[in-house]
Amino acid sequence: MRHRLLPSLLSFAAAVAVTLLTVAPASAQAQNVAAKPAAAATNSGSKTWTAPKTPDGVPDLQGVWTNQTSVPLERPPALGAKEFYTPDELAKKEEQDNAAAARRAEAGESGVHYDVAQFGLDRSHSKTGVTERTSIIVGPDGKVPPLLPAAQQRQAARQAANRGHQWDGPENRALGERCILWPNEGPPMLPEGYNSNMQIVQGPGYVAIEQEMIHDTRVIPTDGRAHVAKNVRLYLGDSVGHWEGNTLVVDTTNFTDRTAFRGSSENLHVIERFTRTADDTILYQFTIDDPTTWDKPWSGELPITKINSQIYEYACQEGNYGMRNILSGARATEKAEAAKQ
Amino acid sequence: MRFRLSKLIVSGAASLALAAIPAAAQRAGGNAQQTTYRAPRTADGKADLNGIWQAMNTANWDIRPHAAAQGPDLMLGAQFSVAPGIGVIEGDGEIPYLPAAAAKQKENYANRMKLDPEVKCYLPGVPRATYMPYPFQIVQSQKYIMLVYEYAGGVRTIYMDSNSKPPADSWMGWSNGHWEGDTLVVDVTGLNDQTWFDRAGNFHSDALHVVERYTPRSPDTLMYEATIEDPKTFSRPWKISMPLYRHVEKNAQLLEYKCPEFAEEVLYGSLRKKPLTK
Amino acid sequence: MRKMIAVAIAGAGLLLVTAPVWAHHAFAQEFDEKKPLKLQGTVTKWELINPHSWIHINVKNADGTTTEWMVEGGSPNNLFRMGFTRDSLPPGTVIVIDGYQAKDGSSRAVGKDLTFTDGRRLFLSGSAPGANGDEK
Repeated sequence: MRHRLLPSLLSFAAAVAVTLLTVAPASAQAQNVAAKPAAAATNSGSKTWTAPKTPDGVPDLQGVWTNQTSVPLERPPALGAKEFYTPDELAKKEEQDNAAAARRAEAGESGVHYDVAQFGLDRSHSKTGVTERTSIIVGPDGKVPPLLPAAQQRQAARQAANRGHQWDGPENRALGERCILWPNEGPPMLPEGYNSNMQIVQGPGYVAIEQEMIHDTRVIPTDGRAHVAKNVRLYLGDSVGHWEGNTLVVDTTNFTDRTAFRGSSENLHVIERFTRTADDTILYQFTIDDPTTWDKPWSGELPITKINSQIYEYACQEGNYGMRNILSGARATEKAEAAKQ
Repeated sequence: MRFRLSKLIVSGAASLALAAIPAAAQRAGGNAQQTTYRAPRTADGKADLNGIWQAMNTANWDIRPHAAAQGPDLMLGAQFSVAPGIGVIEGDGEIPYLPAAAAKQKENYANRMKLDPEVKCYLPGVPRATYMPYPFQIVQSQKYIMLVYEYAGGVRTIYMDSNSKPPADSWMGWSNGHWEGDTLVVDVTGLNDQTWFDRAGNFHSDALHVVERYTPRSPDTLMYEATIEDPKTFSRPWKISMPLYRHVEKNAQLLEYKCPEFAEEVLYGSLRKKPLTK
Repeated sequence: MRKMIAVAIAGAGLLLVTAPVWAHHAFAQEFDEKKPLKLQGTVTKWELINPHSWIHINVKNADGTTTEWMVEGGSPNNLFRMGFTRDSLPPGTVIVIDGYQAKDGSSRAVGKDLTFTDGRRLFLSGSAPGANGDEK
């Protein structure tokens, strides 16, 4: 029993962890021409590379990918308007990030939490796409624009309504705890921290994207059809795609008002662009538009990187002991507090 | 002797017609359905199963032949009563339960409101996902075929020409597929013991092994067959079959059917700070 | 880890790769930091499920009775990606859990440190495999 967890398994894990930290220089260079995805698609690094096509003759985005990336959504304030690291700065940053991640993994979790590193859920055990960008959000500001007054009020009202009630019942908990929707599923699809993976399968006229958490599969038609009726509101919105050269452009509307992406309303409108820039990289760009939340659209981009693995089932609802335990714990706390008085 | 020319012509035409069938029928052969239909090809030369499909039967209520009956919630009256069905099980329509399992099925049925995983918005497993009364979509490429089910956002990835194995059991199982002529054959293992076959408490163990066959039978129908094998529950393998119908309406699409919130009162109602007021 | 939480909310600095911010809150409602515990027991079941895996162990109490405990861990999906399977922790294995008990007093805990009786960690040692003396 002692040797069930074979030493070879551990050394395999070690080899995998080391390999996964390697940066693919091609993807970093591709980010510099992010504004012109068509050009990037045919020229990656110093090799001439042609974007592959499916047997139907459309760009091939298929495979198992991760959108885990080393760059934050918003730019660290100290960097001001600096949009790109130099290669030297990037190398240094990567080194610092990896060292910090290693320290965190060694220190383990504080408080009442399982050790993420033990389960391989920390940064060192996942492939991380690298980009020279200093933030996912592009442009001189590098951050989410301020909310319009009406949007601020909306957010404040929502928080006020839940204050003092956050443990009352399942409706007071976050969508992720209820296994309805994971925080960064989007669209836009943003890194989740772990299991940040997706599988893309293409059939004639469709691009299917399955996000690992919570196994939601966006089946996107590529015929540029109309969206569903206005009164049909969906957590992931309604996505319609079309091809522009080598880029898949996806337009999503019909969100509910509960997704609240960075404070957005049900009028959220997301445009995504997927362009394969290398065998192991998709350039993912998105524009966020909601005139009832922000006074102007804002955009971001990040690399989606191929992983040599598969998606595993993330059956959240089925295994959600947590919701029961959270509510049970809250009731126990209330009972204990009442007993003190 | 009177010579019937017409008869001769008819029989001659018949034998010519029979001679013309062979290729398509032989390609679809090896299963119960002999068909003369040859499906269009995908760009890589395989039978094209892409589309939005749905079963049209009451197997989700009960896969066995059954008459109409009162539903589990009396207050939903006729709206939620059991619709009748001629059954989807091949042969005499009986499920060959081992004696202990037969008893358990009756217990399941008696407690189906509490025990049916569908009530809790749990993934339906295989083969129940196929005949839930909602559409599913086949997205077919060479290495992978994705089956995307509208209900509860279920999804299965079929690994083509692979003999990979699952690391652990899951609700929707592990699917390895290959082509036998125009039939997609899917070998499903790694199914956990938590799903049911229907709302009537028909169940299985974690030894369940399902082999599915999807065969094009006409431009807008597939024939679906599933062989069920589970030596811990059944005395022998048994089989279900049913047509699957294509959604032909323009702009047909799956819609989100996220049901966890619809099951919250059932699952957590007793843990609320204050009960829900009606 | 208060710093980590603050950084995550502000969205600045490193993109954090641990569980989402709200999860820390929820864990504090499930488990009691004032009830640390150490359990040694025999594995009876390993639920390789999401959003959290659960190890069920049979623990012998001081008075000779036994109690079945369930211990919360992380999503197993990356363990699968690294080659672990359900056979990696078979029933009958004796393990040691360092963690915190459920707030409602039930025999449930969150496991911070999971080891064999000889101190070796159950799954992965951390970001630098081998750093804790595991075999390579």
